[in-house]
Amino acid sequence: MKLKNFLKGTVVAVTLAALASTMPQAQAAETKGPVTDDIGVVMIPKGAPIHIGGYWTISGPDTALGLDQQRGAEIAMDDWDNKVAGHPIKFYVEDSQCNAEGGQTAATKLASNQNIVVVVGPDCSSAGTPGGPILWKAGIPSVATSTTAPSLTAPDRPEGLHGYLRTIYNDLSAGAADAEYFYNEMKCKTMATVHDGSPYAEQLVRVAEGRFKELGGEVVAAEAVTPTDVDMRPLLTGIATAKPCVLYFPIFVAAAAQIVRQAGEIKGMEETTIIGGSALMAPGFLEAAGDTAVGFRFTNPDASDDAFGERYPEMVKKYEEKYGEKPIQAFHANAYDGMAVALMAIEKVAVKDDDGNTYIGRKALRDALFATKGYDGIGGEITCNEHGDCAGFKFAVYEFTNGDPATFEIGTNPKKIYPK
Amino acid sequence: MTATATEAKANGLGDRLKDLKRISFVDIILWSLRILVLVVVVFGTIGTIIKDKYSAEQWFDFFMFGLTIGGIYALIALGYTMVYGILRLINFAHGDITMTGAFSAYFLARGLDRSGFLDANPIMSMILIMGLAMIVCSCIALAVERICYRPFRHVATLAPLICAIGASFFLQHSFRGMYGSTIRAYPDPEWMKGQVDVLGFQVPVYQLIVIAIALAAMLFLYLIVQKTKMGTAMRAVSEDRDAASMMGIDVNKVILFTFILGGCMAGIGGVLYCMVYKQIYFYMGFLPGVKAFSAAVLGGIGNIPGAMLGGFFLGVVESVGPALWLDGFGITAPYQMRDLIAFTMLVMVLIFRPQGLLGERLASKRA
Repeated sequence: MKLKNFLKGTVVAVTLAALASTMPQAQAAETKGPVTDDIGVVMIPKGAPIHIGGYWTISGPDTALGLDQQRGAEIAMDDWDNKVAGHPIKFYVEDSQCNAEGGQTAATKLASNQNIVVVVGPDCSSAGTPGGPILWKAGIPSVATSTTAPSLTAPDRPEGLHGYLRTIYNDLSAGAADAEYFYNEMKCKTMATVHDGSPYAEQLVRVAEGRFKELGGEVVAAEAVTPTDVDMRPLLTGIATAKPCVLYFPIFVAAAAQIVRQAGEIKGMEETTIIGGSALMAPGFLEAAGDTAVGFRFTNPDASDDAFGERYPEMVKKYEEKYGEKPIQAFHANAYDGMAVALMAIEKVAVKDDDGNTYIGRKALRDALFATKGYDGIGGEITCNEHGDCAGFKFAVYEFTNGDPATFEIGTNPKKIYPK
Repeated sequence: MTATATEAKANGLGDRLKDLKRISFVDIILWSLRILVLVVVVFGTIGTIIKDKYSAEQWFDFFMFGLTIGGIYALIALGYTMVYGILRLINFAHGDITMTGAFSAYFLARGLDRSGFLDANPIMSMILIMGLAMIVCSCIALAVERICYRPFRHVATLAPLICAIGASFFLQHSFRGMYGSTIRAYPDPEWMKGQVDVLGFQVPVYQLIVIAIALAAMLFLYLIVQKTKMGTAMRAVSEDRDAASMMGIDVNKVILFTFILGGCMAGIGGVLYCMVYKQIYFYMGFLPGVKAFSAAVLGGIGNIPGAMLGGFFLGVVESVGPALWLDGFGITAPYQMRDLIAFTMLVMVLIFRPQGLLGERLASKRA
């Protein structure tokens, strides 16, 4: 009987806890020093650092994706002399692992530090989907730097994502542009798709399928894998029966490399062009796919100098000087802009008292971020709308020319093949 | 109606209700599950046949893909089943021991590839690569046994199991620390790229090599266990460790030998995995390890031919199942449900035959 009561009690407690966790945290207005804010105020004593968080993929097969962005953000801090509002910057970086569990853990660690005023990142939509709400629940807005899933900035997004904005394009633009390229430029009338269940890949694929059908094309196969799948041969054999003109799989390095390796072995795939997505612009992909990567194409935002802002070549120079190599992925400029937007917003809302202490209102900071307009960013103009979309999209297609990871250099391997 | 007739009818109804009460909720669930799976299999297969989407050649390809991965599962499963047979212990680190073999194979193969030796001397290269992988896996398996399992050998708790999981994490993260978390590509020599004609179907050479090596290794292992003195001792220890000890068998030696044999099979499995999937990274042993463990359970854990059969069965079901059973229903993205199908089959086999495909019913002392 005692056990029964205990179980009942546990069930009730767990249910209440679950209900409580889904409700927006009731945050009362707070006044500290000269600042009153609806959800809280962070006080930074004179001379103490302002804490900023970051979370990107810095381990595993997609390390280049996150590391490149961390570097972009660090270069932005260098350009601010590592100071904001008269305080030194203390930068905390966590590993998002490019998955939901990693995003949740990283965001929870950052949220536990109540001195953090803003977080830059993450890089993967699967990490941002749970991470953004965790941070915003703690009153910390986040500026994502390569999460492109439409759901993150949709008008009907959950309350938890109201503190989430991004200095990267929305896949509503990217998916449509991909489909238009397949239909109009490649003259393909049939398409097969593969996603890996991640918010980024699944939503991008759905947008591309929708646009492809609108144009008059037919989606002959819509498949899915898991990121850890290694045996793609049965999947590709199934797709080959539908004889698609193009197979589009905007997934991550490990599984994509297996598709690229194994597609050549499948009978019936000879006439199908296989095309990946922007996560594959990394030396790690060449390491994983080897020589089968030669001639492989993927769609990506245009990463050539003329597609970026005027200051991009200068940033690349700093990148090479600081890290001893050329950029290792395509989103460092977006990360630079993400950090720049965050620093400008902090400067805008920071208020000093007579003793030299600084006060930052959390809601005010969020509003200042969303109010960013006409900033001439490294990756292009940054103007945020009310849902958190701040950047436009310039479409390009790239092709690998060599399977040796040492030869990776954006512009030559992979080289841009469209637009010419 | 008389009072007696009413009473008799009430009694009859009561008996029937009692009979119904004997059918538990679990029985209903199990029977529903069996019927559901049967319906899916039968109607799915009929639907797929009617659709006629795949050619005979493609069905043959599916089967060969399944045999290839199945052979690798089977080799890894042998390590699980032998250790379980001797120690009644699930060596959860075994998948990661396979990973260590794959890493050592990669480093040697890369060196041989760069020097041109791998292309020029395929057989000698394979012997060297497999030899190294077997030695590394055996050494690590022995170290795991000595450090993690032996101290708990006579302790009837969950400690060895927890230790096995700890060893698994230790191996993964040691390799991550030593070699990083990026994916490395196993070399792709020219002699593995061709195709050969089998029964009128074109089959990639590497598939035949992998299946042949897997079968040869399993045959070799089977002969060791059935025909040698040490194999007899292994079977005796597996039957009753105390009695075997009293008969003069050095149980400790037998256990070490079992770990070496399991390590060798893991080493070969690791090399074959590299040959087929080409990607090497620290976490690569986990999933094949879980699948191989399932294969061992499917075949009847503790039973060596059972592990082999279980491995091939699981591989073929994973490969053929989505196309054969789900395509017929017009299900979108059937391959995403590959693991679901494989593990549903595992559950079904265990519902019908709890001891596994070739397993014997264990006496309470052994179980």
